[in-house]
This record gives sequence, structure tokens and C-alpha cells, in this order.
Amino acid sequence: MKVKPVNHAKAAEKFLEDAPHLKFHDERLWDMRQKRDQQMHLLPEWQDLRTRASEIKEHTLANLPEYLEQFEANAKKNGIHVHWAADAAEHNRIVSEILEKHGAKSLIKSKSMVTEECDMRAYLEPRGVTVTETDLGERIQQLDDQLPSHIVVPAVHKLVPDVARIFAKNYNTDPNDDSPQSLAEAQRMAARPVILTADAGMTGGNFLVAETGTFVVCTNEGNADLSATVPGLHIATLGIERLVPRMADLGVFVRLLSRSALGSPITQYTTHFRGPQKGGEMHIVLVDNGRSARLGMEEFWTSLKCIRCGACMNTCPVYRRSGGLSYGAVYSGPIGAIIDPTFNERKYSTLPFASTMNGSCTNVCPVKINIHEQLYKWRRVLAEHHELPFVKREIMHMAGKLMGQPTLYRTAINGTEVALSTLPRFILYNWLNPWGKHRELPQPVKQTFHSWYKKNRLKDGKASKEGEA
Amino acid sequence: MGSRETILATLRANRPDPAAHPLPPVAMLGDMDAGKARFEAALHLLGGQILLPDEEGTLASAIAKRFPDANVICSAVPDFEGTIRLEDVASPQQAAATDVLVVRSPFGIAEMGSIFLSEAQLNSLNSAAHLTQHIVVILSEQNLTANMHTAYAERPEFHTAHYGVLMSGPSATADIQGVLIRGAQGVRSLSVWWE
Repeated sequence: MKVKPVNHAKAAEKFLEDAPHLKFHDERLWDMRQKRDQQMHLLPEWQDLRTRASEIKEHTLANLPEYLEQFEANAKKNGIHVHWAADAAEHNRIVSEILEKHGAKSLIKSKSMVTEECDMRAYLEPRGVTVTETDLGERIQQLDDQLPSHIVVPAVHKLVPDVARIFAKNYNTDPNDDSPQSLAEAQRMAARPVILTADAGMTGGNFLVAETGTFVVCTNEGNADLSATVPGLHIATLGIERLVPRMADLGVFVRLLSRSALGSPITQYTTHFRGPQKGGEMHIVLVDNGRSARLGMEEFWTSLKCIRCGACMNTCPVYRRSGGLSYGAVYSGPIGAIIDPTFNERKYSTLPFASTMNGSCTNVCPVKINIHEQLYKWRRVLAEHHELPFVKREIMHMAGKLMGQPTLYRTAINGTEVALSTLPRFILYNWLNPWGKHRELPQPVKQTFHSWYKKNRLKDGKASKEGEA
Repeated sequence: MGSRETILATLRANRPDPAAHPLPPVAMLGDMDAGKARFEAALHLLGGQILLPDEEGTLASAIAKRFPDANVICSAVPDFEGTIRLEDVASPQQAAATDVLVVRSPFGIAEMGSIFLSEAQLNSLNSAAHLTQHIVVILSEQNLTANMHTAYAERPEFHTAHYGVLMSGPSATADIQGVLIRGAQGVRSLSVWWE
């Protein structure tokens, strides 16, 4: 059976209908973007940091096999068990086997996009492992059976009453609780006993350091450190692209990460794990899941530089007005739109079109990924691979013909003015014009630039050559 | 061929030309002020506090005044008593009853208001730093480093500790409708005591 492409436009339409949620979502993310700008303006060296971060990442990716080997050797020397997972299935199998060996039935975990990528909870739970997300936003999403809608703030599309409803159902709190403070406290009180009795803990990670065999976890709530240190068994899952060569390189990335993400100078916790704690056991699962193949894609490999700050999402007008869930993928927003098609080209073929091509994503990216250019390149690749939807393909085909022939184009443009001012709405606003769904078409101009130029400047008859222009 | 070999082989076949992407020198950028004022401003921004001496001037009296309802005050330092010593706390479950934990940090970072803790300061019970309701961190002005670059370049702890956390203020979240809440799942407050 053929996979159906995600209908991003339709999901976005639904999101747009809910005015209070839309307004909050749009404003909250824009606020994060503005806080990021404030931090940026405080650092005269900001652009140097971005350049340096980009160079370090590109160097690391070009030397990834050697650095991974170096990381593995150092981590093993420090007493960490290192595992390699080619894909999601292998990752889940490895984690399951570690848990089984320890007879672990309850797993507490902090947020990890890689475990989302692997859909790990769905694998472990039928095998008798209770998985509890301990990050507040991620826990809200788990209880609501939804994917995170944002890689940094997973429940950013929800309002207080949504959380109150979910917690009332699961934590027996007041369904009308309208205080974020008391709801957050309810999470703390519910999580603590689970944390204290868990058999195993799991975290993701932001960076791997080849030089020392360290992995680094940057979080705010304290739940990652609790998940890692309370149970005796700590499993960490990281993508193979998370590497940096030297401990001293972390300075560049830590200075950029939280400033880009939330507009705070640093996350409340920046934790360096170099080996198991006394009496404990530590495992790292290095996950490929399509990354090594992506490294070979000439136009798209630099997307592997991503440090998952979410700045591109916060700034994107399409993301802010459509919500992360509308992307139908683990990774949403502009970065999602350029990496999701590498997981499934057909399923995510619509996502590179969820962009106005304004380039803001590229401008805010702390590791200088040319996101909007990659969006454009994906559109071309998808067109070549015949993954465009029918209406888009036919309209593009017609537009291509029209624009390729100036005479035809000008006739059509003159016709458009007549059409826009005279045609009834049902002809202008229909399924062939998704652009007009939530917007008004422009007022027709009385005269095009070309006809004005012809009349006022080209009085010597040169206009007759227009067909050759 | 196992996954390790397959992954490494695919990476070798697919990678861009290493010669085109040299490793830049270690970055040493930005403000090099390692002063107390800069540290305190950053600490406040991240929700941390300075514990000031009261008229008695001792850490014990400052803690008693600041945390009047605290029952379990756990000390991880030799020069402060508390109600229990961290060496006598046997497990995370026992550490969870702590109201205030008093520790000494080997260094702070002026740029971020961050303090560093590792198993060396926590008697290898790392969870104690996160299970306690409040944490008081003893820090010396001489042990401030300017920023993240100088911290990673100069501090040996990053190369020796198995567990090394930079704590920058208390735990926090803004996951419910963007409202910032200090005191999420880890410590509810973080106070620095200058020595």
C-alpha cells in the first residue's frame, strides 16, 4: 500500500479555526524569538560564535567515523557500555534487552527526540515496561497521547485549561484549576514517587565529546538529572551527529543553545556524564536511523549540524500559525520540513511546501544551516521524483508554460485584472486556489507596470519587440 | 557485519571531503570579566539568589533565618553542621527527605551565574543535589571563571568527574502556557554563599 502524504494544509486549517489557541501559540513563539534577539544583541561575538559552531560541526561530520571511534574508546575506558543502533527497531531492541537483563519494569525518562523518532514507548509498553516521561511538557503530551508539537516546548500548543483537563483525568486534580503554578506542582508531586521507585532512568543528550567520551544533557526542570542519578541504571540515547571533537568546543555550543532556544543565557542544568556513578551502570546507544545516508546527500547533509534549539520553528510564520502537530512528524517546523523527507520522502512530501521562503529560519539558525535553500531544493527533488500533489503539479505546470512565454503571460495578466474585478467569488476562491482560503486576493491594479512602461517610455516603437524579450 | 561496522562504513563512503572542512582553533571569545558583580547579575537572571550574612554573620544563622521551617538540613561540607551529614545519607530515597542541602562548589562561571558540582562534592550521592528542596552553595570569588570558553579550557573537573553538573539557578519550567515557574522538579531555590 502506498503511504499517504501528510495533509499539512488541512491540519493547519483546523489549527487556524481555534482562535484562542492560535493567538497564544503565535505570540508565545514570537516572544521566544524576541528573547533570543535580546540575548544575541548582548553578545558582540554572536556571529563569530555561529560561524565557529558551523565550522566545528562541518568538520566533525566530515570526520565522523574517526570521532565516533574516539568517543567510543574513551567512553568504554570510563566504564560506559556503548551500543550502536542502525535503525529505530535496533535501538528499541537494545534498550529492551538492557532493561530485561536488569529485570527493570519501570523506566523514567527525560525528553529525547531520538526516542520519539524510534517510537520507543510503543515498543516497550507491550513488553511490560512502564515508561514515564518526567519532563512536564512531554508528560502532558504522553498523557494526551500526542507527539511533542515542538522540540523544546512539547506542549506549547496547549492552554492552561487543556492541561487542567489532562491532569484532572490522570492526577485527580481540580479540572478547573487555572493556575500554572499549582498544575506544575501537581506534576512534581506525581513524578517524585515514580522517580524514587523507578528501576531505570533514561535521557537523551545534546552533545557527545570525542576527546573525553562525555555526553552532555542540557535541561531546565531537573527531571533529566533525577532520571539519570536516582536509579542505578542510566541509559542515554543520542544521534551519531551529536559529536564535537574537544571538550573546549562545548563553550561555543552551550553559549548558543539556550539563547537561541528560549532566550535564556544557559539552561538551568548543563550536565556532563563521563562515566557511571558509584555502584551504577551506564549505557549509551548511538543511533544512526538514516543519518549516515543523509551525510551522503550533497544538498542536504548540512542539516546534520542541527543542535535542536527550535529557533527556526519559533521564527517561522507558517509554523507559528499551523502548530507542530500539523506536520504529522516527530520533527516539525522548518528543520522538520528538511529532515523528515529523508525518513520518508512520500509521506513528508508536502512539508517542504509549508514555507513562505522568507529565509528567517536560516538567519536565526545558530549553526548556519541554509534551511530555506534546502526547502527550495527539496521542492525540486520532490518534483523530479513526482511527489507533488495533483493540483500543485498541474498549477506549476501551467505557471511554467505561462511564465516561459512573455506574450502569453502578459495577455494572461491583463486578463487577470478583468477576472479579479469581475468574476464571482466562487470561481476565484475554490479548491484550485488554496492560497485564497484564509486570505483575500489582491485588488486588481488599473494598469500593469509593463503596459505603463509601454505607454510612457517606449514611444519609439521598440515595444513591438516584446515577444523576443 | 554488525551495525557498528555498517554505520562506520556508510559514513566513510558518504562523508564530505575532510580536507575541505578543517577544525578551527579553540574559541576564546567574548567578555573576559570574571568578577563577582557579573556572576551575581547572571545568577539573578536565572532565578538564583545570594544568601547574605545576617547580624550574626554565620552561615548557620543565615540558613536558619532563610529557611525557618526546614527540618532536615544536610551538610556536605566539613565546616558546617546541619542536622545530618551527607556521608550518613545512604540512598536517594533517604536524600528525598532533605529540605536544605549545603555544598561547596569548586568553581562558578561569571557569564552564566553557574556553579559546578560533581561526585567529589556530593559524596558520590549525585541525586542529593536534585532531591533536596533547596540548595545552598558555598563559593569563593577566587574560583570564578569568566565564561563558558574559559571554563571548559581551564577547569580540570570536566576531564576527571564522572558526573559534572553546571547548575544555573533553581529548576524551572515554562511548559504550561509559557508561564515561568521557578522550582519545577529539582531544587525549588538555589542560593550562593560567598566565602
